[in-house]
Amino acid sequence: MQIRKLVAVVALCLVAAIVASAQTIQFKDFKLRNGLRVILSEDHSAPTYSLVMTYNVGSRDERPGRTGFAHLFEHMMFEGSENVGKGEHGLSIINSGGTRNGTTNSDRTNYFETLPSNQIDLGLFLESDRMRSLVINQVNFENQRNVVQEERRRSYDNQPYGKTSEAILDTVYDSFPYKHSTIGSMEDLNAAKIEDVAAFFKTYYAPNNAVLTMVGDFKVDEVTAKIEKYFGSIPAQPAPPLVDMVEPKQSAERRRTVQDPLALVPRLSIVFKIPQGNTPDWYTLLVAGQVLSGGESSRLYQRLVKESQVATAVGAAAQDRRGPSTFTITVDLQRGKNPADAEKLIYEELEKLKNEPVTNAELEEFRIALRRNEVEQLVGTLTRAQNLGTLAVYYDDPGLINTRGQKLRTVTREQIQKTARTYFIETNRTVVLTTPVSQTPGTGGGR
Amino acid sequence: MRKLVFAIVLATTLGLPVSLAQGPTESAITKVERKNRVPINNETLRVKLPKATETTLSNGLTVLVLEDHRIPRASIQFVIDGAGSLHEPADTPGLASTTAQMMREGTKTKDSSKLASEVEQLGASLASSSPFGSGAATVSAAGLSDNFDRWLALAADVLLNPAFPAAELDKLKQRLKTNLTQQRSTAAFLANERFVKAVYGSHPAAVAAPTAASIDSLTSERLAQWHRERYKPQNAILAVAGDVKASTLIPKLESALANWKKSDLKPTPLRSAVAADAKRVLLVDRPGSVQTYITMGNVAIDRRDADYYALVVANAVIGAPQVGRLYVNLRQEKGFTYAINSTFDAQKFAGPWRSASEVRTEVTDAALTEYLREIKRLNDEPVADNELEERKRAIVANFALSLENPEQVLAYAVTRKTFEFPSDYWDAYAGKIMSVTKADVQRVARKYIDPNRLQIIAVGDGSKIRGILEKYGPVQVYGIDGSLRTP
Repeated sequence: MQIRKLVAVVALCLVAAIVASAQTIQFKDFKLRNGLRVILSEDHSAPTYSLVMTYNVGSRDERPGRTGFAHLFEHMMFEGSENVGKGEHGLSIINSGGTRNGTTNSDRTNYFETLPSNQIDLGLFLESDRMRSLVINQVNFENQRNVVQEERRRSYDNQPYGKTSEAILDTVYDSFPYKHSTIGSMEDLNAAKIEDVAAFFKTYYAPNNAVLTMVGDFKVDEVTAKIEKYFGSIPAQPAPPLVDMVEPKQSAERRRTVQDPLALVPRLSIVFKIPQGNTPDWYTLLVAGQVLSGGESSRLYQRLVKESQVATAVGAAAQDRRGPSTFTITVDLQRGKNPADAEKLIYEELEKLKNEPVTNAELEEFRIALRRNEVEQLVGTLTRAQNLGTLAVYYDDPGLINTRGQKLRTVTREQIQKTARTYFIETNRTVVLTTPVSQTPGTGGGR
Repeated sequence: MRKLVFAIVLATTLGLPVSLAQGPTESAITKVERKNRVPINNETLRVKLPKATETTLSNGLTVLVLEDHRIPRASIQFVIDGAGSLHEPADTPGLASTTAQMMREGTKTKDSSKLASEVEQLGASLASSSPFGSGAATVSAAGLSDNFDRWLALAADVLLNPAFPAAELDKLKQRLKTNLTQQRSTAAFLANERFVKAVYGSHPAAVAAPTAASIDSLTSERLAQWHRERYKPQNAILAVAGDVKASTLIPKLESALANWKKSDLKPTPLRSAVAADAKRVLLVDRPGSVQTYITMGNVAIDRRDADYYALVVANAVIGAPQVGRLYVNLRQEKGFTYAINSTFDAQKFAGPWRSASEVRTEVTDAALTEYLREIKRLNDEPVADNELEERKRAIVANFALSLENPEQVLAYAVTRKTFEFPSDYWDAYAGKIMSVTKADVQRVARKYIDPNRLQIIAVGDGSKIRGILEKYGPVQVYGIDGSLRTP
């Protein structure tokens, strides 16, 4: 009975990645009748597997007054379900030699386990039980509200530069979905209610709003039957509301200074608005970021850290967002150096990128770094499982795990010049300077 | 407890000062709700770790190779004992770490930027470092296996022919001095600095960072001398993992490293620090902190100690991430913290058992109370049979996951070699863990995790937590610059 259903399911499979090369990741991609998308990739090189459940929900789906809720909810997913007690989830996995966690960002939430391959049922059971029957009670909710607030303090409120990332989002974005941080404000975390948890669960944690990916030491046919057994009867729900991601075009430079009582050295952040991930311009800007700051031979490292010595570290990268994205340049200043000098040097380097094509050597360096990256992602099962899930949720195309390399490899020198001219302009720019609150002499330490 | 939590949330929201009643609370029972319906395979997947081949080159260098042809990549790591910070003169902290960092800033034939370009043109990575607290310096590289010979040559150049150019040293000194300032902005650094001083005393492992004066005093000649005298093949292990063939690699290494000559240097064995015999409470006053960073512990054992296995299990009982007693109590039950675990550092000399956690300022007292309660419980009560079995099983079953990563498997081989364990050490390891008894756990807890001898460090807002800390013992107060404020 179970088997016959299975054949029907498998017949609908999209068999992706037919063109084989040494590093091509083969996978099967299909949906259960309740809409759960399943992506399976065998790898028998170690007696292990990773399972990732990626839900199509992130902090961009939150409403005003409830920032931080998607992440707070993620914590509730470890608090027990109909057949799994509070604390039993982690205990079952760790006692079996495995590891587990969950993460939330603006665009998706994922839950994952890596386990020895003789524990296939364990991972599937745990993920299905909480998708089917999350236990929601006030005690657990208050407990996790506290834990999340500690996470916020630990990563933001008690850290130097902790306020910087929120200031950047708030200044760069005009529309709500990306204007706020995933961790959320203390005020909103305090305002969250248990009724919100139940509603959120019903809306977003449905099989038709999730992607199950597994990579590792199992047989696709056997695991497909188990997936049907554990997940097949979880009912689908109406599709969640679409989020309005339209972001108005910026018309003038924005500047902001963050006074940071915990920082001891200034940090400069320069941010440009760019298109969403998986678009031609975005791929081009990814390459540009590598030319600017990839490694110690890169332009910005050589110019700001080595030649002019205004900085101790510099980074430039396009963020991978499924909606309107950003290109961020971060400079950690040397003690006593003027941030304005660093800013001027950055603009000079960006002008160079607009006025002269990058060298072939720089492009070749990017391409070999890319190849290395493609090879390294084959180490371990978790990275591949996470990437497949994220690409499926973001772009409805897990095959990008194999094809995006080609999109990056074919970026030309002319394209880099053209996109630099389009996006690296003053009116599209936000500059955030984080400065230490004026210190009494001697608090610099080590003097 | 729930009412208490509500009170805090409310008070925080309203900006009210929070004071917590600190009467005796009932004994924390670290319970997990078990429904016992989860399908767990009770067979532990026992794995046999692949063995690395071991060769000694003619210059005395030990080479461990773990062939792994699954993926076209490789990594190499030279671990050079005697070249690390623990062996540097006390008046120049940072000599070893700066030497290691400068090795990437130019060789006799390539300047800093040419070296960086050549590494990156191969898609490789190359690093050299000597962290504080280690007796060894490391030079490591990784990349694609199809251009392995070329990045191996660059790594060998960095290892054998560093030039220590004065202009680059001047630049690095400026960056290092900014870092000295920068690192004092995080509670984690301040806590670690104070903790290693507290547990190690006059031992070289008490040093956590250089000083501006020692950085200023360094010269190219001084670094070159440290490199010349200390980077010696007879004291080094080269660990290679990945898509390489040991049989062809060894002759290649003999030729690439032909100019690396052995000497008579043998690193001086480091004595073990003596564990503190009385509890101490040290406060690093970091105004504006909204959390207290707590870390506590004491010197425990070296890596060859017969108590090692029992301490692995005892540490897991109290401090395993996500399931240990501290986690279950302070996070899962009380919501005091986001993360809490414990570790111990066993080297050729005895290192500390320690735990660390960040808790909101308002629950500093309650968190310390629960911390000490759990440590006392580990001392006073035998661990339950099922808890002991579960912690042991988790350790043994986790070995399967290491097979995903050749570097992890090779790290086991390096440990075996470093401590001169027998060749079947890791084959026998699971059996040793499984034979640890609850009496063993209690015995080592009393010996090494004694609540009356803990060194307790708190980094936080002194104006709010100093009075609380006084309840746990006389408090010494330090500033974020590291200076002692009170005797």
